[in-house]
Amino acid sequence: MVIKSPQDFGAGILFILFGAIGLYVGSDLTFGSARNMGPGYFPMIICGLIALIGLIVTAKSLAIEGPAIERIQFRPIIFILLAIAAFGMLIAEIGAVISSILLILFAAYARRDVNLVETVVFAVTTAAFVVIIFVYALGQPMPVWWGR
Amino acid sequence: MEVFEHLATGFMAAGSLENLMFCLIGTVLGTLIGVLPGIGPIPALAILLPITFGLDPLSSLIMLAGIYYGAQYGGSTTSILVNMPGEASSVVTCIEGHQMARKGRAGAALAIAALGSFFAGTIGTVFIAAFGPPLASIAQQFNSPDYFALMLLGLVMAIVLAHGSVLKAVAMVLIGLLLGLVGTDINTGLTRYTFSLSGLWEGIDFLPLVLGLFGIVEIIRNLENPPPPRETISTRMRDLWPNKQEFRDSIPAALRGTGLGSILGILPGGGAVLASFASYTLEKKISKNPRKFGHGAVEGVAGPESANNAAAQTSFIPLLTLGIPSNPIMAIMMGAMIIQGIQPGAAVMTTRPDLFWGMVASMWIGNLMLVVINLPMIGIWVKLLSVPYRLLYPAILLFCAIGVYSTSTEPFMMVLMIVFTVFGYLLFKLGCEPAPMVLGFILGPLMEENLRRSLVISRGDPTIFINRPISATLLVATVLMLCLIIFPQFRKTREEAFQEE
Repeated sequence: MVIKSPQDFGAGILFILFGAIGLYVGSDLTFGSARNMGPGYFPMIICGLIALIGLIVTAKSLAIEGPAIERIQFRPIIFILLAIAAFGMLIAEIGAVISSILLILFAAYARRDVNLVETVVFAVTTAAFVVIIFVYALGQPMPVWWGR
Repeated sequence: MEVFEHLATGFMAAGSLENLMFCLIGTVLGTLIGVLPGIGPIPALAILLPITFGLDPLSSLIMLAGIYYGAQYGGSTTSILVNMPGEASSVVTCIEGHQMARKGRAGAALAIAALGSFFAGTIGTVFIAAFGPPLASIAQQFNSPDYFALMLLGLVMAIVLAHGSVLKAVAMVLIGLLLGLVGTDINTGLTRYTFSLSGLWEGIDFLPLVLGLFGIVEIIRNLENPPPPRETISTRMRDLWPNKQEFRDSIPAALRGTGLGSILGILPGGGAVLASFASYTLEKKISKNPRKFGHGAVEGVAGPESANNAAAQTSFIPLLTLGIPSNPIMAIMMGAMIIQGIQPGAAVMTTRPDLFWGMVASMWIGNLMLVVINLPMIGIWVKLLSVPYRLLYPAILLFCAIGVYSTSTEPFMMVLMIVFTVFGYLLFKLGCEPAPMVLGFILGPLMEENLRRSLVISRGDPTIFINRPISATLLVATVLMLCLIIFPQFRKTREEAFQEE
């Protein structure tokens, strides 16, 4: 078996997984009948279709040439996700200012060659700006500092 | 004339100092984001959505509409000056507009794009005012089977218009539908696909979904493949006025573009992208001198730019009258309306006339503001292109995070956003376009509800869909569209159309 279109092969497998998980998780929902549709009726049909398309896409990927999957670069996605996670976990504890600064610092390291001084200055300015706009101007409820 | 009375109500509502201000802020912010390469209307709306939540419904819709036009418009500016389409509907503007710019006619191209857009926007507004109410009364005859058929048509159209593989686009729509069903089933009160997470009981939250899929994935994409630095063509104010010949060529093109765009915008699945491609093809076809296309033909700027703006306006019609979004951007607008507590549909026009007409009026005001803020201030927008991305993206990311946090302090929302970022990243690597998924996501619960109701009415007999004239017509259209996808001739032109990008 030779995979001729890696992108499509991956997508096909993803669809099959999606459909299969959907069918499995939804299997305990009542299916009902057309006249009296249960909560499982529509989702099960959809999951079935997703899995079916997954099969077709996978099969086609073995027969027809297609683009390769671009190499995954771990640095950007990991640092971006870390930045969001840090912000989400910490804002309630330490307030918007410091968690914003942390988010920007983490995000900045998603690239190589970080100019630390520039980043810190930018982070502090942006955090101040964000607090002024969101907390004071738009009145969004969020703690500015810790211990509130 | 009732229309004028309605419009007067609208201008009263939209003309308040506060709303004018929000309209201005929206158009400015939209342009700001739209000018940035690689950020089209969908991510722009997603990123800026949270700042409108604190406002009252009319102000927030006015601002969102402003953001949408602004982003669309900003995209044309970058297309012309830097040859970098900010979004799909300005891809065609790139072709001719940038060629004009290289010949020293950048100012003229910008002015024609601006004036054409404004003209089209005006006609589009009149179109909504004139056709909104009659369509809303037709909408009242719509029954569940008709709604279901209409949504099916919309989804099929979204598939036809999606980039790349048709099969993958179908799968994306279906996955969107499924994600839309997560949460409590309204009929039985049972929870579905919640994996015992209480955060999912009310369904997947819209904001983390769009921000993850569009806002954040976009950042990661740009970090992985930094866009090559491109040469900016500078322009001076005094070059801004098109010459006589350019005017003469562009006026009929703008008229045709406006007409085409207004009609294509209303159709399910239609919208700015389709309109600009169609208008470009039309101009090329009817031109006496098709050879000049590709070398800076002014018609190729005037037509598509008018068409995409007209379509951007009229694509609000299905949303505002039928409560059904016709494309992913309208799906986001609908999401925003629901968050504001408004269920879009024909009822809005009667229960909240100030809201409906205020929004219509604000569209015209917004278009006027765009011309004013764009032409004289073009230099500022171009400067914006020189803001380094290394500073831009952390700020955008912070905006996304604060946006999610300000709508819900639940840490689970951040988790959702992370999940959708990872999912969107995977889709990007596998060459799947996420835009049709958003449409499916918004339509999922509506489709299920209408299918269920239809079959309850007919006692399980599926022929109800072909026995009703409205749904039968819509289903025939759907089948025709499906044939178009399968029919090889059309498939080739579809591939060619996207090839030009």
